Amino acid sequence: MKINYKYFIFLFSLLIPLSVGAQSQSDLRINELMINNVDNLVDEYGKNVPWVEIFNTSYNSVNIEECYLTNDTTGFAAGDPSRWYRIPKGDPKTLIPTRGFLVFYLDNLPTYGVFHTNFDPSDSTSSNYIALISSSGKTIIDFFEFPPSLRTATHSYGYKKDYGLDSVEIAGVLVKNKDTLDYFTPGAQNYPIDEATKSELVQAQDQYGIILTIISMTVVFSALFIIYVLLKLSARLNLLVPVWIKKYQDKKQGISSEVAMKKVIDPTKADSGEELAAIGMAIHLHFNKNHDYESEIITIETPKVHASPWAQKQLIHRRIPRRK
Amino acid sequence: MEFLEFFKFGIAQFYQYTGFANVTWGHLIMIAIGIFFIALGIIKEYEPLLLIPIGFGMIVGNIPFIGGLQVGVYESGSVLNYLYFGVIKGVYPPLIFLGIGAMTDFSALISNPKLILIGAAAQFGIFAAYISALLIGFSAMEAGAIGIIGGADGPTAIFLASKLAPGMMGAIAVSAYSYMALVPVIQPPIMRLLTSDRERLIKMRPPRAVSHREKVFFPILGILLTTFLVPSALPLLGMLFFGNLLKESTVTRRLANTANGPLIDIVTILIGLTVGASTQATNFLTTDSVLIFGLGALSFIFATAAGVGFVKFLNLFLKEGNKINPLIGNSGVSAVPDAARVSLVEGLKYDKKNYLLMHAMGPNVAGVIGSAVAAGILLGFLY
Repeated sequence: MKINYKYFIFLFSLLIPLSVGAQSQSDLRINELMINNVDNLVDEYGKNVPWVEIFNTSYNSVNIEECYLTNDTTGFAAGDPSRWYRIPKGDPKTLIPTRGFLVFYLDNLPTYGVFHTNFDPSDSTSSNYIALISSSGKTIIDFFEFPPSLRTATHSYGYKKDYGLDSVEIAGVLVKNKDTLDYFTPGAQNYPIDEATKSELVQAQDQYGIILTIISMTVVFSALFIIYVLLKLSARLNLLVPVWIKKYQDKKQGISSEVAMKKVIDPTKADSGEELAAIGMAIHLHFNKNHDYESEIITIETPKVHASPWAQKQLIHRRIPRRK
Repeated sequence: MEFLEFFKFGIAQFYQYTGFANVTWGHLIMIAIGIFFIALGIIKEYEPLLLIPIGFGMIVGNIPFIGGLQVGVYESGSVLNYLYFGVIKGVYPPLIFLGIGAMTDFSALISNPKLILIGAAAQFGIFAAYISALLIGFSAMEAGAIGIIGGADGPTAIFLASKLAPGMMGAIAVSAYSYMALVPVIQPPIMRLLTSDRERLIKMRPPRAVSHREKVFFPILGILLTTFLVPSALPLLGMLFFGNLLKESTVTRRLANTANGPLIDIVTILIGLTVGASTQATNFLTTDSVLIFGLGALSFIFATAAGVGFVKFLNLFLKEGNKINPLIGNSGVSAVPDAARVSLVEGLKYDKKNYLLMHAMGPNVAGVIGSAVAAGILLGFLY
């Protein structure tokens, strides 16, 4: 059966948009929330109001403009985004830097500015969640549920070591990541204690670098050893593939396998390349000798005058294959 | 009289802005080193493509001036600072690797795959320097950046130093390139010390012809295997194998020609000049720089010894006729193609008909892959 690769390429191109979307608004997460803000963060107007922190988990800056923030359950079910708070477009502060944070005040006072939403979760009749919805209004980027007790508590709630794992190690103890937080950190990482860096930990564990050396040399050897094994295999395959192709072609043409096998060149007698190089050199020398006396002679020398590809249409256009 | 006073004042003001008023012994020493590098490149022809831009860059970087004129490499907004951005952010090394990939023929490696292991063994130099640097008192990150000098690969050294120890990048880069240029001086005594006359006369079998199919598959296999194991080496290895695919596919000749010609030339000029210019006396003439140079020499010695020693070890398991000449062991450090040329020259000294160049190119290009993998591991552990 003749395979038409055009269809494959077309189908594959349809799949590409599915993978697009990484490093985008979908990387944003609700990271920390405080409702009962008594003497914590103060907004531009000197008020203590509930706030929520958004964390950009990606390694690329992401613009949160036109996304929605809401605690309204009915709006999403009804597909009605008009009740949600749409983050206005055009404010440069809505661009969240790589692994950066952005705080919104949940004070039901949207006229106060871009970062003041149209809802207030401190109202006990409202829902116990906050949702971040994509600019299209169709996808929930993050759904952050919080305990009702947060309305009276004097602490914030969120991820102990920023959004990520379900459980994290703090002071050598594995704890639940999403929980009551010991620190108030609006606009900053949720675990402000200075921890040892990766290299400091390595140095503490491996003072003289012996373990790192052993591991690294093992990995380097493993990587190159795998290549070695595959090159050995590919060398075998390289000899066998032409035999298989020939067999297949002969089978299609109805030639018996025994006859076909006789026709196949013995792979062990393949040229090393030295003979070919010697023949090539001999031809080169032979023709070079007569080069000055004959015109239109075949030569393996590169032309002395190099024409610019920009000036030659045939060099800048791909040739159209001829249908046979 | 007033005019004369003003004239004297003007001259004095102008003098304050000249290099003569701001020159220090450090500047003069660095300028002298720069001239020495240029002389090495021109007279001795040691890596002239690198030593001349670096040497000239050293002169450029050590012209004394008053700060704030936006002329120095470390001054934000200066032209040199913009060019230096490619070094700090590790932009240039992958582009150089693209060009190296587009000009490297991996046939020697494909035809005799066991030579690839020599490239792995020679990376021991990196870790010998890493251990030594830790013992001297450098931090793990600094030690990792210093150790990579043993990989004998300038772009890799710059790439890793820009991540692990940006403050030491000038010293590390200059040290790496200097020792790469001095490979013909450093390696032969170690090679002679570690080999017997009989071993130096070993004749290796000519490599078999490598098919086009194998050459095309190699970069694809190479990137998949190495970067799945060490993803942090992706910028270097990705570009290396991509460049090689451009070359070997034979249908992208124009792209390959650009990568291995104008592109690599432009980037070499920029990287050489800016790295040289980054060696401002105030930053460069420190005890740390001296230690870095010492550790760099040590790493080259260990790398060469490990490569030669590993060939001798391999030979214990190989049949007569399949044995490897240990004089190609030094090529496991990258320094393409200088290290391979050293193998050739040393081999010819003992047997006028023993051409080791093609055999030595195998471990030489394996060394490029090996040092990039090692850099990736160090980055993974320490960054």
